Formats: sequence, structure tokens, C-alpha cells
Amino acid sequence: MRRVALIVVMTLLAGMLTALLALIYNLPLDTRDPAPVQPLAFSHSLHAGDYRIACRYCHRGVEISRTAGIPPLATCQACHLHIASDRPEIVKLLDQMKREEPVEWVKVYDLPEHVYFPHMMHLRAQLDCALCHGDVAGMERITRSVELKMGWCLGCHREHLASIDCWTCHI
Amino acid sequence: MSRQARFYQWGMVIDLDRCTGCGACVVACQAENNVALVEKQRFAEGRDMHWLRIERYWEGEFPHVRARFLPMLCQHCGDAPCEPVCPVYASYHNDEGLNGQVYNRCVGTRYCGNNCPYAVRVFNFLNPDWPQPLPDQLNPDVTVRSRGVMEKCTFCIQRIRRGKETAKSEKRLVRDGEIQPACAQTCPPGAIVFGNLADPDSHVSRLARSPRRFRLFEDLGTDPSVIYLKGGGHEHAG
Repeated sequence: MRRVALIVVMTLLAGMLTALLALIYNLPLDTRDPAPVQPLAFSHSLHAGDYRIACRYCHRGVEISRTAGIPPLATCQACHLHIASDRPEIVKLLDQMKREEPVEWVKVYDLPEHVYFPHMMHLRAQLDCALCHGDVAGMERITRSVELKMGWCLGCHREHLASIDCWTCHI
Repeated sequence: MSRQARFYQWGMVIDLDRCTGCGACVVACQAENNVALVEKQRFAEGRDMHWLRIERYWEGEFPHVRARFLPMLCQHCGDAPCEPVCPVYASYHNDEGLNGQVYNRCVGTRYCGNNCPYAVRVFNFLNPDWPQPLPDQLNPDVTVRSRGVMEKCTFCIQRIRRGKETAKSEKRLVRDGEIQPACAQTCPPGAIVFGNLADPDSHVSRLARSPRRFRLFEDLGTDPSVIYLKGGGHEHAG
């Protein structure tokens, strides 16, 4: 009788432990706000959506570098010196430009330091930006659309027969 | 198995006749790979952090003494003793003959370091701490390892990655001599040559066929990717 009770208790404990581990495994890695408030209310849905400005017009590093890059204020100014220069957010922007202070944008997609992610290699593989960044053209404020977990990366790498060697990303 | 595997087998040849023991490779390696600095006290305790070190041997009796130098780094063994002992597969072998170390997977059992016959693996006993202005000149392509992680020479994997990326975007294979680890790039007499052993015409393959070749602890059957060329000039002839 005691032996049966022991087996039942042990099985329950093992089940609980498994459930706990499964819960921990499925918790989000990045607990920060998926759609943080930015210092300037820049609308992607207006620029990339309505006006169809290409992603690469502003994020110029994406084809040649690891990081896509945030455009310098000069890129904004190139158009906004003349376009809509009386709107309050644009006034703020031009003011900032005059004071020579950069805008401190909040990073939405952030990978840990031990991950080497080259944007340019993914563009050369003809991948669409939306695959990871979602429908940016429809977003007023950028929202993180995917969990940047390793299994998710590997799924795509396997599908496209890209390298799944550890040292491809962890160097 | 990746599709490019058969094209590359990375290897290194170190010509001991050319090595002067200057230590430039040691410094270059330290700077390139964000290797932590270690205090004098810790160094004395044997906790020095070097991915590459120069071993020094004295030969002969005074006054006819000569120093011999041997740069010692991870041999990237084909049959590496460090790999099977890792309980979490942080130490693994990749398709290109490299012996990998995945920092984010390492839990710091140090089995690999203890099983390495070349004693080239180093352990982070503390979080690295660089005095100013050194933190500002860390290599952004290399992870800064934290406490409790084993590390070792990677053949400058970040440079191999970059070389392969450039080659891939130009739709060709990596050219001979295109990729150079920091030590090979720095070596003033050019004693260190790195390249692709799978290509029989590469510089490193041609040197590897030299009659002076030997590998360290060949009898252990580790099948290292680092090939040394015997030094000593006339003294060792015949």
C-alpha cells in the first residue's frame, strides 16, 4: 500500500516538474514592451504604407552590414525641411536637428550579445523584411511581431537549407 | 551536413624555423578576440587567459644556449578529446574541421579543459574587467564571455565568417589567403599560415606537405589541424 502511494506521489511530482519546465521553456525571452513609445511619433504606416517609401531608403545599412541601422536625422530633414514642416512632431524633429542632438529611439528587436545576426546575408538570400518584422507598412508604431527564439531561427534555416552549425550564429 | 562542408577544411601551418618568439601573435589574439586581462596574482595561480601562448625551450649548455619557441594554440583536432566529455555539447565539431565552443551553451564543468592534452582551453573564473579605454576598443564581432565559461582559440571564426560572407555574395569560394586569423596577419616573419587544407594547391596545403612537418602529440591520435614545421636549421638536419 505504501509503495503504491509512493509511486503515485513520485509520478505526480515528475508531472509537475515537467509542466514547470514546459512553462519556463514557453515563457517569452524578451519581456520588454513589444510596442514601446518612441520619442517622436514616427508613423511607419504613413511612410512605408501610404507613401510606399522603400524600407531601404532609410535603413540603408541593411544590404551591406549586420545592422539595418536607424537613419540619421539628415535623412528625415531632406524631405521635411519642405514637407509638413509645420506639424508639431516635425517641428520637434527639426528643432532636435538644430540642436544637433540625436533622437533616442527605443530598440524593438533586440538580440542577445551572443547572437551574430547579419542582416545583409538574409537580404542576399532574398528574404522579405516582413518575414521577421511583420507588416510594418500597416503599423502606426513598430510592434515586435515575432519571438526571437532560437528554435524559430532554426526552423527557417532548415527550411531554406541554410547552415545550422552552432558557429554560424554564436561566435 | 552543410552544402559547403566539402569545400573547406581549415588548417594552419606554423614554421618553427621562422618563429622568433616575439609574441606579436599573442597580443594580436588578445586584442582581436576580447580575451580578458588577468591580474598578476591570478596569473600566478595559473588562471591566465591566453588563447595563444609561446612555449619556450632552452637547448644546450651555457654558454652555447639557444632558445626554441613554439606557438601553442587550439589544435582543432579531428578527433578532439575535449568534445566527447562535454555534458551539454558546448564543445562540438563542425563540418569544416573546426573544434567549436558555444559560450551560451557552456555551463562551466571544465571537463574539456582537463581533457585537452595541449592545455589550450582557458576558463573565465571572473567576469572580464578592462581598464579604460580598453572597453571602448573591444571587437564587436566577438562575444564578450562572462564568468563560468570555457573559451579557446576559434581560428578567428569571425574572420572566417566574414570571408565566407564576402565570397558568398560574390558567388565564389573563398580565395586562398583571403582569410587570415589575427595571429597569422600579425606574425612579422610570416611563420603562421592559415588556409584551406581541402584545396591541394593552397599555400597551407603546399607547406603541409613539407618533409619538416610534424604534429603535436601525434601518438595520441588527436589528428590536429595545426601542422608544425620543424625548426632548428642545420642542427636538426639528418
